[in-house]
Order: sequence, then structure tokens, then C-alpha cells
Amino acid sequence: MQKKITILFIEDEKNILTFVSTILKKHNYKVLTASTGAEGIQLINSNCPDLILLDLGLPDMDGQLIIPTVREWTNCPIIVISARTNEREKVKALDYGADDYITKPFGTSELLARIRTSLRHSSPLDTDAGRNTHTYQCHELVLDFHKRTLAIKGNLVHLTPVEYKIVAYLAQNSGKVITYSALLKNVWGPYADEDNKILRVNMANIRRKIEENPAQPQYIFTEVGVGYRMNEDDR
Amino acid sequence: MKKLLTNHWFITFITLTAATILAFVFFYLVPQNSANIALLYILALLVVTLRTTGYRYGIFAALFSVICINFLFTYPYFHLNFTLTGYPITFIGMLAITLITATTAARLKKQAAIIAEREKTIKEAEREKIRANLLRAVSHDLRTPLTSIIGASSSFLEGEDYLSEEEKRELITNINNDSNWLLNMVENLLSVTRIQEDGQKVKKSPEVVEEVVSEAAGRLKKRLPDAQFNIHVPLEFLMVPMDAILIEQVLINLLENAVIHSGSDRPAELGITENEETIIFEIKDYGRGLDDSQLDNLFLGTYSASETSDGHKGMGIGLSICRTIVEAHGGQISARNHEHGAVFTFTLPKT
Repeated sequence: MQKKITILFIEDEKNILTFVSTILKKHNYKVLTASTGAEGIQLINSNCPDLILLDLGLPDMDGQLIIPTVREWTNCPIIVISARTNEREKVKALDYGADDYITKPFGTSELLARIRTSLRHSSPLDTDAGRNTHTYQCHELVLDFHKRTLAIKGNLVHLTPVEYKIVAYLAQNSGKVITYSALLKNVWGPYADEDNKILRVNMANIRRKIEENPAQPQYIFTEVGVGYRMNEDDR
Repeated sequence: MKKLLTNHWFITFITLTAATILAFVFFYLVPQNSANIALLYILALLVVTLRTTGYRYGIFAALFSVICINFLFTYPYFHLNFTLTGYPITFIGMLAITLITATTAARLKKQAAIIAEREKTIKEAEREKIRANLLRAVSHDLRTPLTSIIGASSSFLEGEDYLSEEEKRELITNINNDSNWLLNMVENLLSVTRIQEDGQKVKKSPEVVEEVVSEAAGRLKKRLPDAQFNIHVPLEFLMVPMDAILIEQVLINLLENAVIHSGSDRPAELGITENEETIIFEIKDYGRGLDDSQLDNLFLGTYSASETSDGHKGMGIGLSICRTIVEAHGGQISARNHEHGAVFTFTLPKT
């Protein structure tokens, strides 16, 4: 029998705690809950959960501070739960080392999808067995990491080297939000300009090449003020 | 340096020095006419009294001028001699000029302050009125879905034994719909708090228009999966300074009106065009159109959609929030009817 995956949920609202743990248990996860930051850190240290769901508004401490503390010794994925209008908070959490965020209020399917994505990226060996990791595929788009090509409906699309780097990085992290600064660093190197306009111009060009309607994209979504998220590999 | 320039003694000193230097120049160029020198000092007096507050700088300047004229520019040079004919008159004259200018300047400054104060009070009162109106409209609009949620959930709890599965499902669906609507309303209200109190300004950062539009469309689709609309963006790359969260809210409100409340029988259209100075967003529906008599106060928060089919969806607040947001960005919003429905247009300045 396979060992159950343990998820720690740190949240002080009791109603949300109850409804989320019920759902997670239904989907065969083992759930630990903590209603304060201190309790959360203690549980992380003693139980080594496989994934942490963290609400940033905690009664005893700033939830942000938990992230670097945890990152000191483990790569266990952290998904932050945040209010929609607070872009700066999201970016800060991601910079601290959180893997992804989900915006309140969230639906069940959205939450489960984020959890699956984060788990897959954290341990590719466990869950990607049998998956062909040399390509990324979603709807009619296929990206071949070896040949460095992108095709839509079987037709090759010409991308500039920079555009390819952007798409490839997003595809390798598909389903996860990637901040502007992470993309800039990854594509243009560590001394990249802080100004993200160049990235956004490139993104606009990519959209015009791969999306049918750039204003209603199917592959690369914008999280305004935070970064980009590429649609999940759908195999 | 800035501090020095606002120091009144410094201003006095600089002005008098300048006057003295100029006086020397005059004295050497046209030695026979000393009236020019007195005029120069009077000019300096005027400058000092206008640029400083209180009488002491002016009086000091007057004394200094009289002594300078006597000491430097009247025979015998480099001697103080107050017995010259008419000299006390010169002194009194200069003092009088100083005092009169200083009083007038002080009064002008005071009046300006009073006017500014009054304008501020009026603005404050206006804002207070808008806020009160909004609060009243909001409370009214929030009560309806809340009543329905409480009603549906308590009938579910009380009737758990005898309600059919289908009836239960319907009750829960209603609760879900109403809470989603409430959430959107709360987001609307929260978005208004992003507009800073003073001067109704927003924090702008350059954003890609199609990204903002696509996120707004995505969020509306998530809440209303059946919503039908088409989006047309220009081929050029457009970046406009804005608060993206707020503009998304405007787009969502207008699209929701066009898709849900207009009774449109075709997908709504969102088109974006640009001219030299502005970006123009146009949301067009093919529904029953707007009531002509309501067109004028559509964006004032008083419009009620009660005459249309669904009374409880308060479209008024949404539109007044749209107006607040667009105007805080320095843009304009308007609505009109076309042949087959309504068009809402708003603009954003490119810089």
C-alpha cells in the first residue's frame, strides 16, 4: 500500500480549515492542521509534511516569515493562500521561496490542481514515472526540449532564441506561477535589468505567435502584477 | 539651500545687497541724479515686504535703506548726517511705504488662505456625500442576496428530511450564486479603497493592455462560465499606466452588465482602439438598451435596474464605482444606445 501524502494546512479561520481538510481527506491526503504560526512551525519540524498550505493572515505572526524559516532546511512545497488584491504580498511570498499561491476565495478543483502541480514539481521521480519529460504538450501545442522546437497543430512556429527560452522555462514549470523577476533572471541572467518591459514585449510577441486570440489566451496566462503561468501539461 | 532661500532674513539681506550694488552702478554712471538711488531702495523694500511675513523685515530694510542712502550716496560721503534738508521726510516716506505694502501683502496672503480653506471644506463635504450615498446603496444591495442566502440555507436545514434531492440542489445552487454575487460586490468596494483619499489619485504602473483584459475576462469566465463575449485587441503592443486591479474591476463590471443584465441575444463585444492620447475601451451589447431618461444619472450610483428583469442585481453601484475608478485614472466614461442595444465606452490617457 502506498504511503499517504501529508499536507499541513496553517489557517486561523475555523470554517475554512474544516472545509478544506474535509476535501483533502476525501481525496486521500493525510491532513495536519495548525491555527497559529507557532503551532505550524512546530508541526513542520516534527512531522515533515509533503506540502504546506499557508494562509498569510495569522493571529500570532506574519505568515510570510514562516517561509524563509522552512526554506532553511527543506524544499517541501509551500502554497500560499492570499487575498486577490494584494499583489505585492504574493510577489514577496514567492521571492521568499513559496512555490505557488492561490487566491481567496478558491474552488475545490482549483485547490486540488495546485496541490497536484506543486507535488509533481517537487518530486518528479515519484509522480512522473512513464511521463515523457522531453516534451511539453497542452491542447494543440507541443514543445520539444531536445530539438528546441515548438509546434501548433503540427506546424512549427518560429521563435527567437529569447522567446524560446521564456516559453521553455514556463513549460518546465507549467501550472506554476513564475514571477517576472524569476523569468528575467532565468532568461537574461543574474544581471538582468529590473525593468520588466522587455519581458512583456517578448511575451506579447510570443502570444501573437502561439495564441489564436492574445486577449483570450489558452496557453500562457497573465497574473497581473505577479508574473505568468503556463497551462498544465495535459497528458 | 532650499531652507536658506525660505529664510526671511536671508531674503532681506540678499535683496538689500543687490539694491546697494545696483545703486553703486547707478551712482557712477549718472552721478548727478540721486533720485534713481532712492527709487532702487524703494523697489528693494517692496520686494522684501512681499516676500516675507511680518513687519520687522520691512522696517529693518527701511532703516537700512535710509542709512545707506545717507552714508554712501549723499554728500558728505561716508558720514551720517541727518540734518540735511528734508531728510526726515525721506525716512518717514520710506517707512510709510514699507508699512502699507506689508499690511496689504499680509491681507492678501490671509485671503488666499481663507479661500483655499473654504474650497477644501466644500470638496470634503462633496466626498462625504458621495460616500454616504454609496454606503446607503451598498447596504440596500447587500441585504437582498443575504436574505436569500439565509432563507435558502435555513430551509435546507429545516427541511432536510422532506426535501427532494433536486430541491436541495436548487437551494444550494442559489446560495452559491448569491454568495458569488456578494463576493464581486465586496471586491468592487475593496477596489475603491485602493484609490487614495487625497485627490482621488491611483498608483499607476505600466501594464500591457491585452494582459489586463485577458485576466479580467478569465475572472468573469470563472464566475460565470456561460458568459458569452468576444474581445478584439489591436495588433500593436500597448502599454498604458494604470492600476491593473482597478481597471480589471471596471472591465468585469461592464462585461457582466453586457452579458447578464442587458438581455443580450448575441455575445457581447469588447473592443480596444487607440488614438493619439488615449486608449478607448468599448463594451457593446445587443440587448434592450438603456432607458433614455436614466442616461444622465447612470454613473451616479442611483440607477436602479428594477425596471428590468432582475431587480436584485444592483447595477448602480457597479457603474458608479466604474466612474470613480476611470476618473481617478484621468479618463472618461460614458454610455449610449446603438441600434440594437447599449454601448459603454471608457478612455485611459496614455501617459
